[in-house]
Amino acid sequence: MSPAGCSHVNGFKVDNWKQNLRVIYQCFVWSGSAETRKRKCVVEEGGFVPDALKITFKAKSCMCHMCGAHLNRLHSCLHCVFFGCFSKKHIHEHAKNKRHNLAIDLLYGGIYCFVCQDYIYDKDMEQIAKEEQRKAWKLQGIGEKYSMWEPTKRELELLRHNPKRRKITANCTIGLRGLINLGNTCFMNCIVQALTHTPLLRDFFLSDRHKCEMQSNSCLVCEMSQLFQEFYSGHRSPHIPFRLLHLVWTHARHLAGYEQQDAHEFLIAALDVLHRHCKDDNGKKANNPNHCNCIIDQIFTGGLQSDVTCQVCHGVSTTIDPFWDISLDLPGSSTPFWPLSPGSDGSVVNGDSHPSGATTLTDCLRRFTRPEHLGSSAKIKCSGCHSYQESTKQLTMKRLPIVACFHLKRFEHSAKLRRKITTYVSFPLELDMTPFMASSKESRMNGQYQQPVDSLNNDNKYSLFAVVNHQGTLESGHYTTFIRQHKDQWFKCDDAIITKASIKDVLDSEGYLLFYHKQFLEYE
Amino acid sequence: MRREMCFINMSKESQMRAAINQKLIEMGERERLKELLRAKLIECGWRDQLKALCKEVIKEKGIENVTVEDLVAGVTPKGRALVPDSVKKELLQRIRAFLAQHST
Ligand SMILES: [Zn+2]
Ligand SMILES: [Zn+2]
Ligand SMILES: [Zn+2]
Ligand SMILES: [Zn+2]
Ligand SMILES: [Zn+2]
Ligand SMILES: [Zn+2]
Repeated sequence: MSPAGCSHVNGFKVDNWKQNLRVIYQCFVWSGSAETRKRKCVVEEGGFVPDALKITFKAKSCMCHMCGAHLNRLHSCLHCVFFGCFSKKHIHEHAKNKRHNLAIDLLYGGIYCFVCQDYIYDKDMEQIAKEEQRKAWKLQGIGEKYSMWEPTKRELELLRHNPKRRKITANCTIGLRGLINLGNTCFMNCIVQALTHTPLLRDFFLSDRHKCEMQSNSCLVCEMSQLFQEFYSGHRSPHIPFRLLHLVWTHARHLAGYEQQDAHEFLIAALDVLHRHCKDDNGKKANNPNHCNCIIDQIFTGGLQSDVTCQVCHGVSTTIDPFWDISLDLPGSSTPFWPLSPGSDGSVVNGDSHPSGATTLTDCLRRFTRPEHLGSSAKIKCSGCHSYQESTKQLTMKRLPIVACFHLKRFEHSAKLRRKITTYVSFPLELDMTPFMASSKESRMNGQYQQPVDSLNNDNKYSLFAVVNHQGTLESGHYTTFIRQHKDQWFKCDDAIITKASIKDVLDSEGYLLFYHKQFLEYE
Repeated sequence: MRREMCFINMSKESQMRAAINQKLIEMGERERLKELLRAKLIECGWRDQLKALCKEVIKEKGIENVTVEDLVAGVTPKGRALVPDSVKKELLQRIRAFLAQHST
């Protein structure tokens, strides 16, 4: 289109043109879905159009009035509601004969001017298109969808003032940065590496979304923002995270001092401080079990369902608790790992039948979600029997977090002993959590033993993106992290040193903390 | 609004296509398929490839003169060829499953 813009829209912009355009978008371009058409009518300022009518309109009438095609880039004349295909130039013919210069693309909503011979970009019209699209998404129950970023005035100015652009290419190393060890601080460094490579967290921080409400400059979220800038600045020299360490010490006193700390404990403490420091309410209703809208809860919080069944009356009491990580028992610990509960059939889940006899992450999860008999020493008050009874308890996943963090309990601290369990646990690159869902358990209970195999259902599928390892003994150990960069490149972060790693290196490692990211995200 | 009526003669196959299309729209499935396709094409890098192709066309024609039609003509054949088979297959499966469900 010529840079001057199209002057022919003025012929259309008369009388009630905005309302007319809205109706066209509603009826023919972004019409709502069948589920909603029964329930709702949309009342517009200038009268209403029932949804049912819109759908019928769109379904029945959307074909070229000249050749009957319903594909071929169908357009509608903006002046008289004539439909014609673009590919065979039937809409062009109409425009020429009737001198109706504007037509609208029925698939994408673009507006074409036959005088300019191109699609035109009119601010008012685009605004209406966008508004109507949002309304239609809402009606279809899809909610807000991904839309392309459009820079605001301020952002345009920033872009103009900072003309240097960094391009992310397939092999670039932006985002990789070593961290100096400040004296036994690898427990912190390994978690920082995992967090800075959590895709959704990175997107949040790099798009500058933290609005600080803390008074002094002691906000850990602000420090994380800073850290992300450091990591993705393209600098290659190792970063010195002393401010971060200082803040962690101030806000999580139990981690202060120069001794080696537990990386898992640090992770939970860090998430907790971040959650407390980012109470910026974005106005959306929190729908995670922690009832918090902060980015940490949006990403890391899942809901764990606990069903306690009374052995006498078989009444079930169900509670749901939020979790940030799942701690898994390992074979070789003092609590017996096997035998598994009845009902586990050893079927192949997550692609790992185990010929080698090695324990798999799936085994650990199966054990975690098995019904556990609580025994006579742990009687629980049953609300059905009104007395203390023996019961069984079973945990399942009620709601999955976007990032699932598994903690393999390698450190055993009991009254008698403190030791490290080095049992090898194999873990997959891709994990399907469907078998461990509360909903799967319910359908099993209703007699559907065979879960319908739905390869198209990707809701519960995860990919591995970081693995924290502990080398050495309880007393003198060292933490390192494997992190995933781009889609399938792996790097080992050992404090200040970063080296390329193979997938085999990652999967053969012992594994202490495993970080999985959901493959498909729902829009909320 | 005035509607221009027309008499349309359709072959069997195009009648079938029209019926399927109508069903897909009525049930809102077409919008969902569009969204799925969009996500898949972004995921597999197709959109980035197309962007690069478009940039070539724009450079060739000059930003002042290029029209959407030039872009469509310039990238359509290559764009079609670049769609991965896996994506086509997945979409086909979805449509089949949908039709099987709603064919009674
Ligand atoms: Zn024009
Ligand atoms: Zn017309
Ligand atoms: Zn036509
Ligand atoms: Zn802050
Ligand atoms: Zn929170
Ligand atoms: Zn009871």
